[in-house]
Amino acid sequence: MSRLKALGLATVFGALISGPALADDIVVGFATAESGFMQAYDKPAQDAALIRIDEINKAGGLLGRQIKVVTADTKTDRAEGAKAGLEVLDKGAELVIVSCDYDFGAPAALAAEAAGKVSFFLCAESIKAGIPGVGPHSFSSSVLAAVQGATMAQWAYTKKNARKFYRLLDTWTVYNKGICDGFDWQLPKLEGAELVGSDTFKNEDASIASQISRIKALPQEPDAIMLCTMMPGAVSAIKQIRAAGIKAPILNGSGVDGSYWLSAVPDLSNFFVPAQGSIYGDDPNPKVNEFNKKYKEVTGGDPSSQYVYPGYVLIDVWSKAVERAKSLDADAVVAELEKMKDEPTLFGPRTFTSEIHHQNKGRYLIIETTNGKPAVVDEWTISEAIPVADLLKQ
Amino acid sequence: MAQRSSLLARTISTLIILILILVAIAVVTKLAGSRPFERTVVEMFIRVMLVVGIYIFVGNSGVISFGHMGFMCIGAYAAAWFTIPAVMKQVSLPGLPNFLINTQLPIFLSAFLAGLLAALFALIVGRILMRLSGIAASIATFAMLAVINVVYSNWDSVTGGTGSIVGIPFYTGIWTALGGAILVVIIAYLYQISRSGLALRAGRDEATAAAASGVNIVRERLIAFVISAFVIGVAGALYGHFLGVVNPDAFYLSVTFITLSMLVVGGMNSLSGAVMGVIVISAIIQLLRWLEKGVDLGGTTLAIPNGLQEITIGLVMIIILMFRPSGLTRNREITWRLKGAGKPSE
Amino acid sequence: MTALLQILFDALSLGSLYALGALGIALIFGVMRLVNFAHGDYIAFCVFALLWPSIDAAAIVFAGNLPTIILIPLILAIGAGLSVLSEILVFRRFRNANPATMMIASFALGYVLKNFLLMLFSSRPKSIDLWSNLSQQVEIAGARIPLLQVITITITIVILIALTAFLKRTRFGLEMRAAAENFTMARMLGVKANRVIMLAFAISGMLAAAIGLILATQTGTVDIQMGMSVMLVAFIATVIGGLGSLPGAVIAGFLIGGASVLMQVILPLEARPFRDAFVYGAVIACLIWRPQGLFAPKSAKQRV
Repeated sequence: MSRLKALGLATVFGALISGPALADDIVVGFATAESGFMQAYDKPAQDAALIRIDEINKAGGLLGRQIKVVTADTKTDRAEGAKAGLEVLDKGAELVIVSCDYDFGAPAALAAEAAGKVSFFLCAESIKAGIPGVGPHSFSSSVLAAVQGATMAQWAYTKKNARKFYRLLDTWTVYNKGICDGFDWQLPKLEGAELVGSDTFKNEDASIASQISRIKALPQEPDAIMLCTMMPGAVSAIKQIRAAGIKAPILNGSGVDGSYWLSAVPDLSNFFVPAQGSIYGDDPNPKVNEFNKKYKEVTGGDPSSQYVYPGYVLIDVWSKAVERAKSLDADAVVAELEKMKDEPTLFGPRTFTSEIHHQNKGRYLIIETTNGKPAVVDEWTISEAIPVADLLKQ
Repeated sequence: MAQRSSLLARTISTLIILILILVAIAVVTKLAGSRPFERTVVEMFIRVMLVVGIYIFVGNSGVISFGHMGFMCIGAYAAAWFTIPAVMKQVSLPGLPNFLINTQLPIFLSAFLAGLLAALFALIVGRILMRLSGIAASIATFAMLAVINVVYSNWDSVTGGTGSIVGIPFYTGIWTALGGAILVVIIAYLYQISRSGLALRAGRDEATAAAASGVNIVRERLIAFVISAFVIGVAGALYGHFLGVVNPDAFYLSVTFITLSMLVVGGMNSLSGAVMGVIVISAIIQLLRWLEKGVDLGGTTLAIPNGLQEITIGLVMIIILMFRPSGLTRNREITWRLKGAGKPSE
Repeated sequence: MTALLQILFDALSLGSLYALGALGIALIFGVMRLVNFAHGDYIAFCVFALLWPSIDAAAIVFAGNLPTIILIPLILAIGAGLSVLSEILVFRRFRNANPATMMIASFALGYVLKNFLLMLFSSRPKSIDLWSNLSQQVEIAGARIPLLQVITITITIVILIALTAFLKRTRFGLEMRAAAENFTMARMLGVKANRVIMLAFAISGMLAAAIGLILATQTGTVDIQMGMSVMLVAFIATVIGGLGSLPGAVIAGFLIGGASVLMQVILPLEARPFRDAFVYGAVIACLIWRPQGLFAPKSAKQRV
């Protein structure tokens, strides 16, 4: 990080983080990765959350009290994660915000659950990040991976007239499997759509030549390839698919949103990604573009992908629930959160119920990359929510 | 028999000292009264179980194993199968056989069975692998670990795939972990003074001579392999109850390397080395983490940059090994007398 | 027929990577009985050398923009330099240590390198466009193959031939082979140990750099983990091939690459995620069948 950026962060958040908590302050704890692998994924969303907290404090605070932030480093280690959770709880956290990824965030979230406090995952997209994997006080403000797969399938079917789908799954993470699970759920509901082939690979595979040979061996190129993968393997897979001369549209999850990697595949076209908001300055909602500017002012860089946004959303919905409950009592706040139905946020509506603390349906912007330039081309919400029972089965 | 009891008399002090050290750490931690610190110590005790478990095989046989964390994986998942409530298993692990879905065992029984399952697996695989020596054996154990990892990462209906499975009751606190660590140290001690342990050590140091004296190295190795698998299986179960989530990734390369490093830095041919390796490395890591968080020095906070802890611990390990190639304990046991008297390792 | 040819090329291109890796590991093992776990991190280090240190998401390409004619020697030199430096600073002090100690020291060194890169670049994988015109297709006997694959295979073969010639025809090569065969004896006969070992490290580092360049071109990605999987497979190939045997390591590298591609092709969809389990199962079988490796030099025999 350049010094300039560090300075920007320090001036805005310095007041939040340093200095002793006053008895009257509301403490929000971040048990997230400040070092190690997850750091690069936690930090952007955490910065966005801090921006929202700053806004609330400037507008007079929450329940008339200022929000005070405490942090503890999970070091991208599960056992350390649980400790970090305890640490922020010991400092009086009313809300515990945990690592982006379910696997790394769960230990801290479980510690919060055991203490009877509300926990939010920064951007986890597994159904487990919530009631099934932590408990009744745990939430995630992002949208499920399965919804991304289902959205892309239905959108490509409707708008791109895709009928013959090919499915290529990277078995590395639950997130990847989640995208393909959503795709699998959606596909039979699309009349006339068929799966012409399916294959798997591993994120770390240096070459997916044999997987590509299999696609090339099809009698005709599929109408769309559902690619369920994430960084860094995604870049390699996309590069190799295009290099092999396969021109079919490639559908993805939000994990490959961002322009930072496009230099690796120059002139990439016919490439589609769902995103909760656009980082490219062309979001239909002007407030999103304003937020992007603010984010740049504070952190010194543009948002690198849509995974910045869930951090902002989580503070937004939590603070609204606290205001409505007029209390910090975990059960009261959860009850208010569960009353939210299509609650508007900057990055699409949010619904929570006593059954699911995650989004099994959601509005997505469709971002198309043409000649290496990503831009918003459409907006899509799947016609029916993915049933919780189906999500749990996966 | 007389020889055996004199061996016991000569070496028992090592066992007593090691246990006293572990107990002292637990008591001091309890007195300090910080929850995060207590968890650090619990994790350290589990690491003691793992490293001493590896030591039972590696230290006595001289064969480096990269595969033992596979037994931890087996143990942790078995504990998950045995202790997660049936309602949750039906949903998250629908592929389990019915009798497993409907069982929910007490934690200690489940941990014991988890160890047995790991030991059984070791018995079957070990019958093939123990025929190998040297680096070929090391690679074969690594291949075993990789196979276990691939299977547990992809057999979604039974293991939940690469995702974590949750619902394992939290149980492992400082006293349970201390008990586990002490138990494992006792097992390792009893094994290394047993007939099989002595024969195996003889085979390690002088293979030809031992074989000539009628030691069946393959058989003794297998015994050590199975015992160590049991111990690590139990440790895996306790780890599951410590963290509350189980994930195949947690039982793969990084834990393999950190535990092996602890063993080698401590001194891989002695029980004291195994225990001290864990304690010393854990202490240094903890110290560096405190430094990373910042130390208050009369008003000014002194902190090292994030990430420097990892770099430093790597350098510290290299430096220790440079000056003590046979580990901190020089492969000797700690005894009452200062100059290693009872040293079955040499 | 075309399909078979396609499989053959896929296998050869994956196998080349493993073979180059195995060669790098076998060279060091031959002269000093060191299993160098830092090798994978050398690969990552060389690739990161293309970039300017920054923890931003977008990569700042630095050395990667140099003309090819300068870039390749530069990266190879970085690989060789890093490798030789680690020998001088670390491994030299472990000449008389047992293999386990050396192995853990090499692992610790790799850990330091990895976390050093992590501090400079953050964990987020970066993207880089290196010689993307190499990804165009060429047609060979009906099989369509990216140019890069052809080049990878060719480069591997060229390196192998060059290295063989070097080892067979030059004095250095003779010394190195002698050292690999029986280090103590070679020293007694006047081989300068340090020189031979440094040379082995330099070549090994260059091989790591070559793998790094190929991986970066092929995947377009720069990632801290990127050398890891190649290194593990290469390590296994070294053992299967017969520790100390350079040709054995190369052939075993190609075999594992071939097995992996073949499994991907013949396994049914449900079993495909378990591909690596089958590959590692084959590794175990191979070890049981030939514990000394497929091409064991005489010196590698265990005493019992």
